[in-house]
Amino acid sequence: MSRIDAIKRHLVEEYELGTAPAELADDYDLLRNGVIDSLALLTLVSWLENEYALDIDAADVVPDNFRTAASIDAFVAAAVTTAKVG
Amino acid sequence: MALPLAERIATVARRHPENPALFWQGRTVSYRDLLAMSRAAEKSIAALRVPEGIPVAAVAAKSPETTAVLLACMRAARPVLVPPADVGDKALRTLLADTGALVLPDPRTLTTGTADAAVAARPAAVRVPDGTALILTTSGSTGLPKAVPLPAAAVGAFAEWSASTFGIRVGTSVLSYAPLNFDISLLDVWTTLSHGGQVVLVEQERTAHPGHLLALLQQCPVDVVQGVPMLFQLLAAAEKQARGDEFAAVGEVLVTGDSLSPGGLAALPRLFPGARLRNVYGCTETNDTFVHEIDPAGDPGRYGTVPIGRAVEGVCADIVAEDGTVVAGPGRGELIVTSPFQTSGYLDPAQHAAAFVGHPDGVTPGPYYRTGDVVTRHPDGVLTLDGRSDSMVTVRGIRINTAAVEGALRSHPEVADAVVVALPDERTGKRLHAVVHRAAGSLLNSLRLREHVAAELPRAGIPSGIEFVDAPLPRTATGKIDRRTVANSL
Repeated sequence: MSRIDAIKRHLVEEYELGTAPAELADDYDLLRNGVIDSLALLTLVSWLENEYALDIDAADVVPDNFRTAASIDAFVAAAVTTAKVG
Repeated sequence: MALPLAERIATVARRHPENPALFWQGRTVSYRDLLAMSRAAEKSIAALRVPEGIPVAAVAAKSPETTAVLLACMRAARPVLVPPADVGDKALRTLLADTGALVLPDPRTLTTGTADAAVAARPAAVRVPDGTALILTTSGSTGLPKAVPLPAAAVGAFAEWSASTFGIRVGTSVLSYAPLNFDISLLDVWTTLSHGGQVVLVEQERTAHPGHLLALLQQCPVDVVQGVPMLFQLLAAAEKQARGDEFAAVGEVLVTGDSLSPGGLAALPRLFPGARLRNVYGCTETNDTFVHEIDPAGDPGRYGTVPIGRAVEGVCADIVAEDGTVVAGPGRGELIVTSPFQTSGYLDPAQHAAAFVGHPDGVTPGPYYRTGDVVTRHPDGVLTLDGRSDSMVTVRGIRINTAAVEGALRSHPEVADAVVVALPDERTGKRLHAVVHRAAGSLLNSLRLREHVAAELPRAGIPSGIEFVDAPLPRTATGKIDRRTVANSL
């Protein structure tokens, strides 16, 4: 399973969206549509840290990085790269 | 001395003895027969030797006999408590203790003179004010019904107002869908009988059967239909098996008790092509206080919903903002009303003091009833109902009206019905959970529905959980969504 699919599966299960992960579009706005609120963002960040062995800087925990499955995936991709370089 | 309403019915019976008073199970009961039954019941009740002024209770389903017993009580100026026919033991005990009423024998034995003439247990102190005609009941927030005594003068004034407003006169045929303990029956039954019309009684056990309603209307066409939105949904469903002319005679349609859904509104002009459509707002404590002439094409665009309209003549109403001040122009707050049709008040002093208040200006005479309904006054003076004040919940510090969330969900074309309940949540205080009845065949998912409501609501108003069901939501006897059952099932 690709990373974005794993992220989608987590989102669908964690927030009880009641749909198949594939139905969650890459660009579905998770914030505007009330799937993730600011508190849920924190639990999502800690899941990402565990799942992808990241140490996410609090300064990066801004809503726009987590607006869609695609942006979360891109954020993780960047974080993973930084971690390897660092 | 008989109450004025009973006098009027006796006058109708003298002038038009052969006219039908009731239609029941395929036959008519003439005014002469109704009065004869009522006289027999009056005698039977007198034989019980209930001390003067002590209320009695008629615990029985709607029927000609039950109607005759209530009329007998009004003829004898004896206050009569009308609990729900299916009232539970605990609720009945509470009502009897609150009112001091004695339970009458079965109406069928009273009207045929076969009732056992033994007096029931001596009641506690009389709790009902002088001049009380009917004691109706309303569901309390605790689940136990509250007694609402209605003075004879209030019932009489209501009958006069409603007859002239809705054109009820000799020969007018009126559907009686609601049970006798509902304030709706004041119009359906008592206004009609005191003005010489015919009451077409729906059997209480069969109110949810569209086929029964259709058959009844085929046997006996009606001129006036008053009902909760659920009745009109049932009639719209029945229409598919209809002959086509069942509703042709209907000249007056009164929607009451709850907000009409967009789908229900759209169905009305098609169901009742010849009818004047009106939305009527009121409650047991004040009876009808607002009337709005429904404009099916214009109302949703102009007001976002079907308004409750303007206060009827004789009714004073104000909107009280959260800070306790009266909203003068357009604005929003809790509706308080005082009406000529009003109850003398709850029997429990603490409950009474919480609901019946003086006008906030300290001058205008009252008492005003706090409806608990949140309304908006539009620039043209028309009021719309936003929901119950107790439907306000705070989610993440933002005040959300769950009724508005339900409205947003219901406005999706693939949503047949929706209910939103606020569940305790350790993170956010409250979280909103929606149960959505999808339209038949719809594959609507939570993602698309979220997008729909996100366009209409603040983010805190988007339910955290959306659950789909493909069956109708549970409803109470009055046709309102049964929130308690929904909440308990979660």
